[in-house]
Amino acid sequence: MARTPSPALLQGTLDLLILHALQRGSMHGYAIAQTIHLLSDEVLSVEEGSLYPALHRLELDGAIASKWGSSENNRKAKYYKLTARGRKIIASQQETWTRLSAAVNRVLAR
Amino acid sequence: MHRLIFKLLRRRRLEQDLEAELAFHEEMSSASGNPIRLGNRARVKEEARDVWRWSQVENMWRDVLHAARRLWHTPGFTIAAVLTLGLAIGANATIFTMIHRVLLNPLPYPDSDRLIDLDHGAALINIPTGMGMKGGLYFHYLDRARTLSSIAIFNTGSATLSGQGEPEQIRVTRATPDLASVLRVPPAVGRWFMPQESEPGAAQVAVLSQGFWQRRYDGDPRVIGRSIVLNGSPTEIVGVMPADYAFPNPRVDVWLPLSVTRVAGLGLWNYRGVARLHDGVSIDQARAELNALIRDVPQAFPGDPLAAATSPRIGLMSTATNLKETIIGRVRGALWILLAAVGVVLLIACLNVANLFLVRAEARRKELAVRRALGASAAGIAQLLLAESVLLSLSGGVVGLALAWVAVGVLASAGPPTLPRLEEVRLDGIVAAFTFLLSGLVAVGFGTMPLFRLASSFTAFHQSGQRMTASRGQHYGRHLLMGGQVALALVLLVSSALMLKSFQKLRAIDPGFDAQSKITFRMGLPVRDYPTKETALAAHRKMLDNISALPGVTSVSSTTCLPLDGACFGNGVVVQGRDAPIETNLGTTSFRAVAAEYFQTMGIAVIRGRAIERDDVERNEPVAVVDQRFVDLVFPNEDAIGRRVSWSLPPARAGEAPKHTWLTIVGVVRNTPTRTLQETALTPQLYMPLSITGRFDAPTWEYIGPRVGTMDYVVRTSTISTDLLSSIRRAVDRVDSNLAIAQVSTLEERLDRASAELAFNMVLLTIAAAVALLLGLVGIYGVVSYIVSQRTSEIGVRLALGEAPHNVMAMIIRQSGWVTLAGVVVGLAATLATGRLIESLLYGVSPRDPVVLGGTTIMLIVVAILACWLPARRAAGISPVEALRSN
Repeated sequence: MARTPSPALLQGTLDLLILHALQRGSMHGYAIAQTIHLLSDEVLSVEEGSLYPALHRLELDGAIASKWGSSENNRKAKYYKLTARGRKIIASQQETWTRLSAAVNRVLAR
Repeated sequence: MHRLIFKLLRRRRLEQDLEAELAFHEEMSSASGNPIRLGNRARVKEEARDVWRWSQVENMWRDVLHAARRLWHTPGFTIAAVLTLGLAIGANATIFTMIHRVLLNPLPYPDSDRLIDLDHGAALINIPTGMGMKGGLYFHYLDRARTLSSIAIFNTGSATLSGQGEPEQIRVTRATPDLASVLRVPPAVGRWFMPQESEPGAAQVAVLSQGFWQRRYDGDPRVIGRSIVLNGSPTEIVGVMPADYAFPNPRVDVWLPLSVTRVAGLGLWNYRGVARLHDGVSIDQARAELNALIRDVPQAFPGDPLAAATSPRIGLMSTATNLKETIIGRVRGALWILLAAVGVVLLIACLNVANLFLVRAEARRKELAVRRALGASAAGIAQLLLAESVLLSLSGGVVGLALAWVAVGVLASAGPPTLPRLEEVRLDGIVAAFTFLLSGLVAVGFGTMPLFRLASSFTAFHQSGQRMTASRGQHYGRHLLMGGQVALALVLLVSSALMLKSFQKLRAIDPGFDAQSKITFRMGLPVRDYPTKETALAAHRKMLDNISALPGVTSVSSTTCLPLDGACFGNGVVVQGRDAPIETNLGTTSFRAVAAEYFQTMGIAVIRGRAIERDDVERNEPVAVVDQRFVDLVFPNEDAIGRRVSWSLPPARAGEAPKHTWLTIVGVVRNTPTRTLQETALTPQLYMPLSITGRFDAPTWEYIGPRVGTMDYVVRTSTISTDLLSSIRRAVDRVDSNLAIAQVSTLEERLDRASAELAFNMVLLTIAAAVALLLGLVGIYGVVSYIVSQRTSEIGVRLALGEAPHNVMAMIIRQSGWVTLAGVVVGLAATLATGRLIESLLYGVSPRDPVVLGGTTIMLIVVAILACWLPARRAAGISPVEALRSN
């Protein structure tokens, strides 16, 4: 499975990585990308250009919510945070998540 | 749905947000030492937008809007395409409306496919069908037939409505009350007849048609129970039938109960019969049973003089046919051919629009290639193009429906009387559904064609660059469309030219009488006021005298049966001195009673002997004048003048010899048509003075000739004017102001009516052909113009290198000429192959008539060359400098 990951699984992976990252609190898009990058020991990098479409999709699904706020350098930025529904999705997909993280771990181990 | 609208409204804000968000990301990215790249910004935005969309529906909506905008910006193309499609779709909707009503659904009665026409034929005397019914057979079948669930007989005639207002001659159908259980249509108001109301001596009752009720009584429901005077007898109105009830034809004003009794015996062929088959019984089974019953007739009517001589001597048989078949059998072929014709027009229109699309698509190659290179999917581009064709064909459908609405109205009022239910034809939901189904098919048809053409440009961006010359292969598709149009247009042109020639031939037929300046009208004398032959004769004589005294009247006469009105009173003929059977093997002769000067007034030439003179009428001379057809059949190698003939007559009692009144033939006149101008087998005719015929009070077996109660008058005048009509009315009033003048027309109008059906088909086919020719012309012009515009640079080079302009012109025309010629060859082949189909509609012209084929081919080629010549001349006029500079 890990050797031939399906595109759907990869897309789901990005969604779950975003949700997982947002469990730490609300953050803007760039911070989410950074978090994923850093948390995966700089091995997992968000695929070019796929972060923002994924964020918008999750927002439409109601898993995350957004609002405009000020960033650390006092710039206007769009902040995302988990909704109750988003938490439920993470909980319900715990098994998937475990399986995925194992797969991700295996990838990281190489 | 509300979410979609919400999103559409929010679209602008979302765009701004996305822009700001991405800007922030880039700023952060460039500020940090370890940047996380955003990737292709345009693609990110596109994908983010995709997330917002309710993708499929919204894509389609966007494509439709986009297509509408594009069409709006090219009004020339849009109008041309919509009008072309509208015209073709409208023509199809019109013909389909008529077919739907007239052919597919001609009888407005429940389970109408179970209804049969109880007709009879006589094999041994060469009457294949059309004899009708006898009163005796009605009871015979009623008692015994197990295949029929109900039977009714009826006949149609006219009656005089007098009393309030102007007396009026109306058309009445007398039917046995069980007609209601055959047709199963209840009255709209009131009730139908009770069985006892058809018994002799019962008070007369009447049921009105919807049309007559509206016309004469303004649709007043209180008319039920009111008494009217019909043929001088008080008659109570008991009901009104619904609007679509038109039995046996839409011209019937009033239905009356038909009185037939068992004691009258077998009787004559005075009626027509209609019956309903039992469920599960086929028409063949019914016919077999009726034929078996016919063999029992002599036993069932012992002592009846007609029964003994009926079935075996003449080969009597049941020719029961489906009622629908009887009504539409003749017109079916014509309507299907018309539908095929407008179908061809639609095909030509589609080819035309497809061509326009190709030209447009060609111009859009570059745009579409760029779209493709920027990531648009092939399916997305296909959807975009399809959106345009769907929009166009739906608009065409709306235009077509509007055109059909107008056309159906015109056709319903101008169509020939032979088309049943034509006056009821109107657009309805089914027709609208048909129209839009057609539009959909059309959209897919021409919408996908450019896709094949463009398939290459999806991958080959480099091809869309500027080219100096056009390759030959590129025009292959367009030439195919052009050739197809030529071929189809030729098929229609030939068909309409054949109809035109048939019509000319039909109108060139000498009808045997002179139709100019003749007024005819029908005069019915009510039996109650004119109970005997003598009273009727006296009234007719007075009216003839009064009318002939009017200024402007050259001569006047009357007859029981005008040409083209049918056989009226048909019977077999016996010749004195010949041992002939009751009904000879000569078929039926039409017996007509006429007043003096009939042949002179009608302009029917006397070939031999003399006409029926005033003296013959005054002195009740037993003389007869026969037509040439009669002589050919009865006296092929003998002199007819002086021979004595009579009508076949049953003996008063079985075993006795029949008592004939012999008529001496004194003259022979020219043939006149009986039913149609183009009839191949003329009916022999015998004319007798009106004073020796029509005994009103005689028993069946002494029935002599036609009754003179109702006669058609012919007035020859120097001028036809409405003044003359009112003075005729006054002349009639001086005899009896309760008499009605009915069916006023001129003999010319009768001739027109006789060719109305052919004229109708001809006009419709000619319109179809004209549209086809016009579309073909536009199509060829469009293709050649486009080819010229594509080859502008090449032509410029040729001219610059010193080629003569007329050579350039010849080159363009030659190329298109080959395509046209190929189309003509295919079209001629198709015409010859389908000639048999149209043959049944033609008169006196072969579907392979060389003059018609040659003429139309030349006409088409001339038109095609003209269509090529205009753009070719433009090509020759190209300035080489301009052509080369423009690149």
